[in-house]
Amino acid sequence: MAQNFSASHTEEVTSTRRVIAASSVGTLIEWYDFYIFGSLAKIISEQFFPKDNPTAALLATLATFAAGFVVRPFGALFFGRLGDIIGRKYTFLVTLVIMGGSTFVIGLIPGYAQIGFFAPAIVFVLRLLQGLALGGEYGGATTYVAEHSPSNQRGYWTSYIQTTATFGLFVSLGVILIVRQSLGLEKFNDWGWRVPFLLSIFLVAISVFIRMKMSESPMFSKLKKEGKTSSNPLAESFKQKDNLKMVLLALLGATAGQGVVWYTGQFYALSFLQNACNIEFVQSNIIISVALVVGTPFFVVFGALSDKIGRKRIMMAGMLIAVLTYQPIYKMMYGLGSVKNKVEIKEKTVVEHKAEIKGADSLKTTTTMKVFEDGTTYKEVKKEKFPVDPAKKAALPKDKLKPEIKKETTLPQDIFVKMIGLVLIQVIYVTMVYGPIAAFLVELFPTRIRYTSMSLPYHIGNGVFGGLVPLISTRLVEATRPGPDLPPADPLAGLMYPILVAAVCFVIGTVYIKNKTNTIDVE
Amino acid sequence: MSAIQKILGIVWAALGVGIIPLAIKRAMTEIAAKPSEENWIFWSIVLVVLMPIIAFSLITFGVFAIKGEYQSGD
Repeated sequence: MAQNFSASHTEEVTSTRRVIAASSVGTLIEWYDFYIFGSLAKIISEQFFPKDNPTAALLATLATFAAGFVVRPFGALFFGRLGDIIGRKYTFLVTLVIMGGSTFVIGLIPGYAQIGFFAPAIVFVLRLLQGLALGGEYGGATTYVAEHSPSNQRGYWTSYIQTTATFGLFVSLGVILIVRQSLGLEKFNDWGWRVPFLLSIFLVAISVFIRMKMSESPMFSKLKKEGKTSSNPLAESFKQKDNLKMVLLALLGATAGQGVVWYTGQFYALSFLQNACNIEFVQSNIIISVALVVGTPFFVVFGALSDKIGRKRIMMAGMLIAVLTYQPIYKMMYGLGSVKNKVEIKEKTVVEHKAEIKGADSLKTTTTMKVFEDGTTYKEVKKEKFPVDPAKKAALPKDKLKPEIKKETTLPQDIFVKMIGLVLIQVIYVTMVYGPIAAFLVELFPTRIRYTSMSLPYHIGNGVFGGLVPLISTRLVEATRPGPDLPPADPLAGLMYPILVAAVCFVIGTVYIKNKTNTIDVE
Repeated sequence: MSAIQKILGIVWAALGVGIIPLAIKRAMTEIAAKPSEENWIFWSIVLVVLMPIIAFSLITFGVFAIKGEYQSGD
């Protein structure tokens, strides 16, 4: 008898592991596809948008990036409905194919120089498709895994799905770094940036093959056999007061705050290192990548802990600590990374001038290399391009004569390690708010409308509140710039948005959400 | 706890209502001061996407809270 129990338990665990692995690989690939766009935002802005206004191009790229997030709730509604009617397995197979196809095609589109405004327009449409597909994917994968998991370990098993978003970001950064290092900067900026997009088609093919072999969720199969599936999950989810109130509670008390903590700790941290501190591209990506790798196991730690002490306590603690410590953390990052307050070793400063004629234009390049007392090195390349003909030069508007300035700071090892530590702290916050959230959402809604109901608050919280962090925070920092050519007066102003959203979410979650533990049975 | 939930419900609903004129006024002021492409893109996203979601969800959530819908602690 005991032997039979043990054998059946082992079989159950193996089967759950297979389900987790198959679901996670696909979800990881979807996140990879989604994030290479964000990681390559700067290059995409140069390739697909007009070059005469780099700030507008970057903002337009961020807006396109944000569009992918904004449509995620629509994908959640569309595919969630399908998933609750026809089943989880086939729905998230479709989302995977749409995601892979769109990503692959982005890698094939000619740039703005070749096809003009068609380039950003096509990229925009493909980005929307990516967002729709992701909107359908996550809810499906989470529901599928949760419905296979034993009720007392739901936090633990679903936390593996939660690691895929961070791993997807990590893989995207890794692939970009490897391609960039193997091709060299010039080739990478010219055509090499397309490789990470094109690679997606192979990854998706493998994942589709794996997923084809999976069976339908046991809870959904049972419901279907009994003829109890919902015929209109959208109406059931959002027109019935009892479900709508839970959707709103999930959004305002959990996913909105979780979304901003997620995007601040990973995306905004990278953007802050590169734009506010001017940390060199490879070094800044390594800082984020190492912090992600070290921090990722904590998704599972907090997922498992939520089975013991409840989902709410961990998520709310993560939000509160983030609200209280973001300002000091970013202040320290700025102090360590920016050269503004560092002492320069003047005798080591090197300035090189180079002048050349390129066709009808004159190009003047000034390279300044500085070394600071703490070992930080700084390189500034200033390029001034203007027509050789003085009459033509005088006729040009002032902003066309603006020099192009590239700043790069390279940190010494001790500061580099401290910077990893500061980003890692933020990744830990991410794992606290995100690790238990899948189980939390699954337990809020019944099986017949679960895919639809949990997907919407998740994707509004992450896609809209979280996805807009880079755009809104960049804008808040820009607003403190005293003049067009002057640096922002308050580089930390961008934190106001995530802090405010997380604070409101913390209060709502604390006051209105009940702490749920492993005693909840989903049906 | 149920009294706090109800009182805070009024706060959420009021915040939801108040955010609409505030966001519109700020957008109009900023766009009038600098009618650049960046400003238009940014404020369109805020007014068309973010603001309606915040306003609708806070107002509806606030009304539910005032009515005591969350009293059992969901």
